[in-house]
Amino acid sequence: MSFDFIVLQLFSALSQGALIFLVAAGLTLIFGTLKVLNLAHGSIYMIGAYIAYTVANYMGGIIGHFYIGIIMAAVVAGLFGGVMEAFLIRPLYKLDMHFVFLLTFGVIFIVLYLVYIVWGALWHSITAPDYLMGAMNIGGVFLPKYNVFLIILSFIIFAAIHLFINKTKLGLIIRALTADRETVSTLGYNVPMTLTYVFMFGCALAGLGGALAAPIRVIVPGIDELALLDSFIVVIVGGFGSITGALLASIAIGLVNAFSFLAFPKLAAVFPFILMLIILVVRPRGLLGKPI
Amino acid sequence: MRSEMDSHRIDAKDLRFWLRWLLPIAVACILPLFLNHSWLSVLIEVGIMALVGSSLNLLFGYAGMVSFGHAGLFTFGAYTVAILLHYNYAPFYIACILAPLATSLFSIIVGWFCVKRVEVYFALLVLAFAQIVYMVAYFWVDFTGGSEGLTMLPVAHFFESPTSVYYLTVWTVGICLFVLYAIGESPFGYALRAIRENRERSEFIGINRKRYILLAFIISGFFSGIGGTLMVIHERAAFPGYAHFMKNAEFLLVCLLGGMNSFIGSTVGSFFYVISDTMLTRYTEHWPIILGGTIVFITLFFRGGIMGFLEKRYDLFKRRREELK
Repeated sequence: MSFDFIVLQLFSALSQGALIFLVAAGLTLIFGTLKVLNLAHGSIYMIGAYIAYTVANYMGGIIGHFYIGIIMAAVVAGLFGGVMEAFLIRPLYKLDMHFVFLLTFGVIFIVLYLVYIVWGALWHSITAPDYLMGAMNIGGVFLPKYNVFLIILSFIIFAAIHLFINKTKLGLIIRALTADRETVSTLGYNVPMTLTYVFMFGCALAGLGGALAAPIRVIVPGIDELALLDSFIVVIVGGFGSITGALLASIAIGLVNAFSFLAFPKLAAVFPFILMLIILVVRPRGLLGKPI
Repeated sequence: MRSEMDSHRIDAKDLRFWLRWLLPIAVACILPLFLNHSWLSVLIEVGIMALVGSSLNLLFGYAGMVSFGHAGLFTFGAYTVAILLHYNYAPFYIACILAPLATSLFSIIVGWFCVKRVEVYFALLVLAFAQIVYMVAYFWVDFTGGSEGLTMLPVAHFFESPTSVYYLTVWTVGICLFVLYAIGESPFGYALRAIRENRERSEFIGINRKRYILLAFIISGFFSGIGGTLMVIHERAAFPGYAHFMKNAEFLLVCLLGGMNSFIGSTVGSFFYVISDTMLTRYTEHWPIILGGTIVFITLFFRGGIMGFLEKRYDLFKRRREELK
C-alpha cells in the first residue's frame, strides 16, 4: 500500500463520517433530550434528499439553486418533524418507550409509500455546482472537491451545534431538560414547545444530511434504511445525547467501513455492528455518554 | 389491562380449559376440506407468525423486555435447516431437530451479551445481532446463496403437498403454544412478570434478573428456531429477507396488535396481520400506507390491542348484566 492510497482511504473515511455525522447528530440530540428513539429518522433523511432534488430541478436556471434546494430540504424536514412530534409523539411521552418505537415504525411505511407515489421508484440524482465537482490537488494527492466541501461543512455544523448547546440560553434549557423535565417546567419554561423545537432541529439536520448526500449517493426509495442503521450505531457508540461523541463515532465508523472493506470486502457491512457490540459490552454508555 | 394474562391457572381437571385448546386445533384440522391451497399457505404463515410472535411475547409481554431482533433468531433457525439440507450434511428429520437446538445455542451467545443491559440497549443489542445474521446471509454468497437465498431444498417427499405441511404446522404450533403457555403460568413465568412490574424490587426478593431473562431468551430462541424450520419446510427455501430489519418489527407488531398482555394476543394478532396483509396486497397497491396507518392508529388509540379491547368490552358487559340483576 502506497502512502497516497492510505491518505485517500483516510480521506474517504473522513468524508463518509462527515455525512453520517450530519444525520446521526439529529438522532442523538433527539434521543438525549426527548428520551425517545425515532425510527423514522431515516425517512426524514429521505424526504430531505427528495425535496432537495425537486427544488434544485425546479429552480434549475437560478444561481445557487443547489443551495436553495439544500436549505429547503432542511426546512421541510424540520416542519415535517414538528408536525410529527406535536401530533403523534407528544401523546406517548407518559407511556413506555416501545410505543414510540412502534409509532415511528409505522411512519416509515407511510413516508416510503408517499415517496413512491410522488417521485416513483426510479433513481434520481442531483449535480452539485461545477466548482464543487472534480478533484483538487492537496500536497500531491488528488481529492474530490465535493467531499472536501462536505467535511468542512460538517465541522462548521458541529461547531455551531456545540456552541448553541453550551453557550446560549435555549441551549441551557435544553441541557436542563435532559436532566429534569419537571423542574424546568416549574421554573416557567414552556417544556412541550422546547421539546418540539429540539425535535424539529434534529429532523432538519437529517433533512440537511439527505440533501448533502444526494450528489454523491443516489436518491431512491429505500435509502432511509441505511441512514437509520448508521445513525443507530453512531448514537450508541458515541453515547446518547453527546454531540462530540457522535462526531467521534461517525469518524470511527467511516474508518471501520473504509478499512474493513479492504480486508474483508464481502463482510464489510458487518463490522460497524461489531464495533457497536464491543462498545455496548465494554462501555455501555458510549464513548462520551453520561453514566447510566 | 394485565388481568387476562394473570388470571388463568392450569387446572388439569377443568374441561373448559382443555376445550379452549382442543377446539381451535380441531377447527384448524377440518379447515383443509373447505380451503384451497393458496389459503392453506396463508394459514401456515399465520401459524408460523403466531409461534414466533408468542415466543417473542415471552420476553416482551411477560418480562417487559423489548427485543428488536427476533427475526435474527428466526432466520438462524431457517438457515440452519437450509444449509444442512442444501449441502446434504444431515438427513431431513435430523436437520429439523438440529435447527431449533442450534438456534438455542445461538441464543445463549446472543443472550449472554444482551441481558447485561436493559431497555433500549437490550433492544438495540438484539437488533445488532439480527443485522449481523442478515448481513452474513446476504453477503456470504458462496455459503448462504446471497440475495437469492437457498432454494429448491430437498424436503422429505411427504411434505411436498401443502396439506401435509399445513397439518404439521397446526400440530407443531399447537403443541409449542401450549408449552409456552405452561411456561408462562409456571413460577418461572411469574418471576418474569415480577421483573416486568419492578426490576429493582424483584431483585430484592431474590430473583436473579439476568439469569431469568437469559433463560427466557433461550426458550424464546428455541421456539423461534422451530418457527424458522417450519418456514423452510413450507417455502422449501430460505432467503436473507427473513432477517430483514422490517421483519423484526413485524413480529413486534403482531404482539402489540393482538395485545401483549394476553397470551393468545400474538396468535390473534398474527391472524389479523397476515390475513389483512394478504388481502391488501391482493386487492390494493396502497397496502404499505394502510399498514403504516394501522400501526400509528393502534399506538395512539388502541394500545391494549385486539384482546385488550375485547376484554374491556367483556368487563363492561358483565358489569351491566350484574346491574340488571
